[in-house]
Amino acid sequence: MPRASKRKAPPPTSPSLASCDVVSKRAGKGRPRKDVDKIDSLFESYANQSLNMIDPTGIEALCSDLKVDHTDVRILMLAWKMRAAKQGYFSKDEWQRGLKDLHADTIPKLKKALPGLEKELTTASKFEDFYAFAFQYCLTEERQKSVDIETVCELLNLVLGPRYQLQVDLLIKYLKVQIEYRALNMDQWMHFYRFCNEISFPDLKNYDSDQAWPVIFDNFVEWVRDKQS
Amino acid sequence: MSNQKKRNFQIEAFKHRVVVDPKYADKTWKVLEHAIREIYNHNASGLSFEELYRNAYNMVLHKFGEKLYSGLVTTMTSHLKEISKSIESAQGGMFLEEMNKKWTEHNKALQMIRDILMYMDRTYIPSTQKTPVHELGLNLWRDNIVRSSKIQTRLLNTLLELVLRERTGNVINRGLMRNIIKMLMDLGPSVYRDDFENHFLEVSAEFYKGESQKFIECCDCGDYLQQAERRLNEELERVTHYLDAKSEAKITNVVEKEVIANHMLRLVHMENSGLVNMLFDDEYEDLGRMYNLFRRVANGLSTIREVMTSHIRETGKQLVSDPETLKDPVEFVQRLLDEKDKYDSIIRLSFNNDKTFLNALNSSFEYFINLNNRSPEFISLFVDDKLRKGLEGVSEEDVEIILDKVMMLFRYLQEKDVFEKYYKQHLAKRLLSGKTVSDEAERSLIVKLKTECGYQFTSKLEGMFTDMKTAQDTMQGFYASHPELGDGPTLTVQVLTTGSWPTQPSVTCNLPLEMSELCEKFRSYYLGTHTGRRLSWQTNMGTADIKATFGKGQRHELNVSTYQMCVLMLFNNADRLNYKEIEQATEIPALDLKRCLQSMACVKGKNVLRKEPMSKDIGEDDAFFVNDKFTSKLYKVKIGTVVAQKESEPEKQETRQRVEEDRKPQIEAAIVRIMKSRRTLDHNNVISEVTKQLQSRFLANPTEVKKRIESLIEREFLERDNVDRKLYRYLA
Repeated sequence: MPRASKRKAPPPTSPSLASCDVVSKRAGKGRPRKDVDKIDSLFESYANQSLNMIDPTGIEALCSDLKVDHTDVRILMLAWKMRAAKQGYFSKDEWQRGLKDLHADTIPKLKKALPGLEKELTTASKFEDFYAFAFQYCLTEERQKSVDIETVCELLNLVLGPRYQLQVDLLIKYLKVQIEYRALNMDQWMHFYRFCNEISFPDLKNYDSDQAWPVIFDNFVEWVRDKQS
Repeated sequence: MSNQKKRNFQIEAFKHRVVVDPKYADKTWKVLEHAIREIYNHNASGLSFEELYRNAYNMVLHKFGEKLYSGLVTTMTSHLKEISKSIESAQGGMFLEEMNKKWTEHNKALQMIRDILMYMDRTYIPSTQKTPVHELGLNLWRDNIVRSSKIQTRLLNTLLELVLRERTGNVINRGLMRNIIKMLMDLGPSVYRDDFENHFLEVSAEFYKGESQKFIECCDCGDYLQQAERRLNEELERVTHYLDAKSEAKITNVVEKEVIANHMLRLVHMENSGLVNMLFDDEYEDLGRMYNLFRRVANGLSTIREVMTSHIRETGKQLVSDPETLKDPVEFVQRLLDEKDKYDSIIRLSFNNDKTFLNALNSSFEYFINLNNRSPEFISLFVDDKLRKGLEGVSEEDVEIILDKVMMLFRYLQEKDVFEKYYKQHLAKRLLSGKTVSDEAERSLIVKLKTECGYQFTSKLEGMFTDMKTAQDTMQGFYASHPELGDGPTLTVQVLTTGSWPTQPSVTCNLPLEMSELCEKFRSYYLGTHTGRRLSWQTNMGTADIKATFGKGQRHELNVSTYQMCVLMLFNNADRLNYKEIEQATEIPALDLKRCLQSMACVKGKNVLRKEPMSKDIGEDDAFFVNDKFTSKLYKVKIGTVVAQKESEPEKQETRQRVEEDRKPQIEAAIVRIMKSRRTLDHNNVISEVTKQLQSRFLANPTEVKKRIESLIEREFLERDNVDRKLYRYLA
């Protein structure tokens, strides 16, 4: 999962012991529904008690347990599944939502659910939703409308790379070279996806500048055409 | 009383027929036949009209109309055959004469015959639907004379021969021609047409084709057109004199086609004498002739117009890119005005003030004036020059004329907002240096601009005038409240409302002590009466008059800029100063300081300072002294550098950038206005609507408009439609 640049992760505590404790403590209590219970306790094992949210530390711990790097796209997908609002944090509701949907109440089950999640996101409509979410997730400040170019490049690679590696590579190259835009907004972000979908590559023959593409794409196409000639 | 026997009278029918003499018809016919003969033989005087009429009458009455009619036909025909022979035998010129004579006689005879046979004409002929006598007579003439095999061709050739002779400069017997032609006309429209007119038109076409081909090879354009005009007039005359009026249009068409239409392009593009040369040399007469001749044919005028348009565009393009002309903006604009005047005259005098030509002229001017992106600046400089000195002593009407011409050029500009920026700058300089020739002229131009562009264009300019007026009152108030300052230097302050005046970056400048104290007093006075305002001294725009005494005692009053004053006042306390010292003391920015020192040390006649070394440029280590040897014929010497000038390259870039920045909010406002009223609109339509709305100020760049749209999307004024990404929606 891409990090917000300002956050620095404190050294990880050892969560695994803590979770065991919690589980054992709760085992003796009444008889609530098993899965919800388990999901909740799993939440507690990672959550920051004072915030009642899983914070970046907790997420790092989670990643470690899942044996998935925290920059892996699957974590982002998980965030999407949860409809997580704030980057680096999972609320209880979000956690419940996500894990319930995935039918997972333990770490191993969660890990097993990840491939399924990836598959789910191959359908066009879900992917588009995920794609939009990925950008939205980076708008961490209040009233922030755009994301810096560096982050955009990383995000593009992460989210669109697997599908359109060649286009993404070229786009990233351009974005790093051009000086006009220091950050991009949601409208431009959405158009990357549309661009990769609709425009033939590498010739870009069917690109029509009358079709209301954002100016950055007009510039990109011109840059590519200049290079090719 | 007598016994009267009553008798029944019975009227018995005639028992026996009255037998008309069978020979009666023959006898009667013979009388008439004889009479007809005599008529033809000019012996009609011996005949009795009454008797002949009676005879004819009786024949018809007694059912002998048929005999009478056919007899008439036979007699006339045989007679006409004889006449035909006599005409045929006529030699040369007598041919037509003879025909004319016989024709006249025939008509006379026909008249008499018709009179005699009037009863038949009125009764027998209508009922049997035979041809009436007069018409019959004409038809028989037609068939037996005009269309007789021996005469028909000869007649046509003779007539055409005569026309040719006349065309080649000979005199012919027009009266005779008229009579013969009239004869053909009388014989029926188809006779005139088929037996003469069609051939005449064909032969004329051949003739004019040949002649025009010859002329186009050896004549120049002007001469050729004169000849064409001559020929057209000639043909008109010909028709009036001896042809059917209906032929006028037809023969004119022939001449127009062969002489004008077929050679139009060659004429227009003729080297050394074609349209372009005529335009260049203001040949009003030739141009007028060309216009009048070409307007008769299809595409004639559009051909002239096209060539004229491309010529104007070409010369205009050269004019606006000629580096020599561009050195002097006033000259540049004057040449534009001269060019416009030239073509206005041509269109008025030669082209009948034709609107399509005026439009072509306007569009050409619009095209090339905007090829040079300094045009707005130059036009403003031209106005500046006129308002400073050019209009000195000019009458009010002439002033209006010149200003109207300037407005005309202004209308051609696509980037009117650039003009506005420069005009503001130049006006500010004029107002502040008090260098306007005529206040009325200034105001008049503002009014014209307001009429053209609306209130917003001129509201700030008017603010500038208001500030100038207020300044006077302010100064009066200041000195009234500080009577002790009466002896010191006189300060005149103009308080400029920011926003009305062109924005200037505030600059540093250390005023001499005398001045800075005075300025502070003013500041407190002003802020005392106007709370909540902030004043900043614009030292780069001020002027000063200082009295100077030089080495030999020469006294002069120097009119200088504020910067120059600061520099000069330093020499009250030092004889020698180098550049660095001056820079430190005055804190004037380097570029301005150098320019200021140059104007006082390096310009002949204004060199109140002496510089070592004597080079033209200002070096960091240069030393300055008061020039004790300074002389000038005038007591008052002007050294100020506040005149409006053509901008230097970096200044130009800066102005252009500011204009671009100013355009962004205008574009956005237009987009929002349009989207608010339309709610949803597709991309291309947004671009075109925005361009249209902004047209009166500047030409909007589609890419720039696109960027503004994106910015508005980001700020959530607009959104894209989910399904059709070309569609934008206004977000309330």
